[in-house]
Amino acid sequence: MQKIQSSREKIRQEIEAFYDPKSWHFLTLNGVALADEKLEVQWIFAKYATPDEVVVYYIEVPYDVEIPTIVDIIPSAIISQRELVDMFGIAVEGSTKGLYLDEDSVQTPLKGCQI
Amino acid sequence: MSKKTINIPLGAQHISLLEPVRFKFECENEKIIGVDSDVGFVHRGVERACTTKFKFDAVGYVVARICGLCAITHSLAYTVAAENLLGAAVTSKAAYLRTLLLELDRIHSHMLCLSHTCENAGFEAMFMQIMGDRELVMEIQELISGNRVQFDYICIGGVNRDISAQLGKKILENLTLVEKKVREYKDEFLNNWSLSLKFKGIGTLSLEDAYRFNAIGPLARASGLETDVRNEMSYLPYNEIGFVMQTQKSGDIHARNMVRLDEIQNSIEMCRNIVNGLPEGEIITKIKGKPEGETIVRYEAPRGELMYYVKGNGSAMLERVRIKTPTFSSIPAFSEIFLGQEYADAPAILASFDPCLSCTAK
Amino acid sequence: MFTSLIKSFLNLFKKPQTLAYPADAKPKEESYRGLIEYNEAECIYCLKCEKACPPGAILFPPVDTPPSDNEKNKKSLKYEYNPWLCIYCGECVRACPKPNEALWQSAKKQSVAVAQENVNGMWDAIEARKGIFTKNSSVAKE
Repeated sequence: MQKIQSSREKIRQEIEAFYDPKSWHFLTLNGVALADEKLEVQWIFAKYATPDEVVVYYIEVPYDVEIPTIVDIIPSAIISQRELVDMFGIAVEGSTKGLYLDEDSVQTPLKGCQI
Repeated sequence: MSKKTINIPLGAQHISLLEPVRFKFECENEKIIGVDSDVGFVHRGVERACTTKFKFDAVGYVVARICGLCAITHSLAYTVAAENLLGAAVTSKAAYLRTLLLELDRIHSHMLCLSHTCENAGFEAMFMQIMGDRELVMEIQELISGNRVQFDYICIGGVNRDISAQLGKKILENLTLVEKKVREYKDEFLNNWSLSLKFKGIGTLSLEDAYRFNAIGPLARASGLETDVRNEMSYLPYNEIGFVMQTQKSGDIHARNMVRLDEIQNSIEMCRNIVNGLPEGEIITKIKGKPEGETIVRYEAPRGELMYYVKGNGSAMLERVRIKTPTFSSIPAFSEIFLGQEYADAPAILASFDPCLSCTAK
Repeated sequence: MFTSLIKSFLNLFKKPQTLAYPADAKPKEESYRGLIEYNEAECIYCLKCEKACPPGAILFPPVDTPPSDNEKNKKSLKYEYNPWLCIYCGECVRACPKPNEALWQSAKKQSVAVAQENVNGMWDAIEARKGIFTKNSSVAKE
């Protein structure tokens, strides 16, 4: 697993330059709650036809900023972005709440649940 | 003058659905022009339970209960991730036994999907026949592990039970019977004229769209995209037991059925090679310690690619467990395929995707 | 199409696949996952089975009079097992230092719980003695 750090401003250009639909396969977005009110957001890619090659781009942000969307580059990312909004309560450009959770259920269950 | 459109729901409760999902189709005279989907009716909060309520050695049993049909793939993926974090390795015999059960699970899951697709096309007799023949596979699963569906066969360090020589013979007998039946089904699926009206040319996903939507599993392989995680991982001995990737070109429902039938035949061949060439050794190795670090593990469930991300920090409770299930990644592709199809074909298309909603809304 | 017509016709004369359970007995297999059985005389009270159980179906709450004069029972504990919470995975047997003498998995089928036995209330009382209070517990925390 290869982890590459980036920043909120540059992540969109970096993914656009890196992603090639014929050789890389986008898996999902992932959020990991860190100590002192920060969230690590990861974009996970795997290579076609090569054993055990996984690349992870990640950024560390506080909860009150907006993450840029990559739906125009990778259309299947829309569902992972909606899940991130529901689970962590962080805003992602163009993604609405309500994929899993209704108004009367527990909100943002994974935000700081372990720390 | 704009044509009037009507909204028809394929509701949360529907006679052709096995699990609750709601689609709202915007139709113009029977042709679908817009899709709005709602998944998440069976959300149970498994990711949060894995990090707050259960210790790391019990999480393997918790994640197995996310889904009924791919239960063993979930528990295997988590267990391998935990073994990576503990720095442990299993014996070769345990790896072969794990692969045997994984392939048997694939056979019975594909048979269920094929029978469900036939039922949605109206062919009830074939549905009953495939389900009856599936009992041969369920019987050997019960003899190996004690349970028909939730195997609870894998623990951290190896597997729980061994197979005797007599059990090995019974497995080979049943697999020979299943192979004969699968050849008859293939003949039926290829040559039956009324089934071809329902399946050929319907619900097509082109190769370009498969690349664009990152399609996985039999859905991608039916469109010609050559992706299979069994080709892209090294933890299980797939290159030693004769794995061959099965693809088709046309991308419609007929192609997906053919891919599944071919995969059943390949899995039967692999199971036979495993039982005949099982190495000697122990089935469990004792492992001590607590998980630390982070790791990503991918497996090929019957419906596609499953990914686990596990992060531990040296204590008995894990820090983060992220589960990416195959149907979750296929939802954007669903919504694209329905456009332009007739409304009456919608249940058959949905069943050919083999959606597992308990996995999606974990 | 003709072969499927002939096959459907011949199905009329075949035996059904289903079993008329409980009128017909279900065939018993040796590998059946049955109840966990315990032999108090061999137990060394290490509590490894309690720690290993995923749903928490084995507990050792403290009691006033110990169940026997086993000298290993230093804190006066008693073995309690809930067959309706158990998932029959066998982790407890694998964790036990004396697996076939003190704890083992039999092939006996569990019985159905009926309302008069008050299974949930009884187990809530046992958990309360260990200090475990779940959200739906019928025993209130003092």
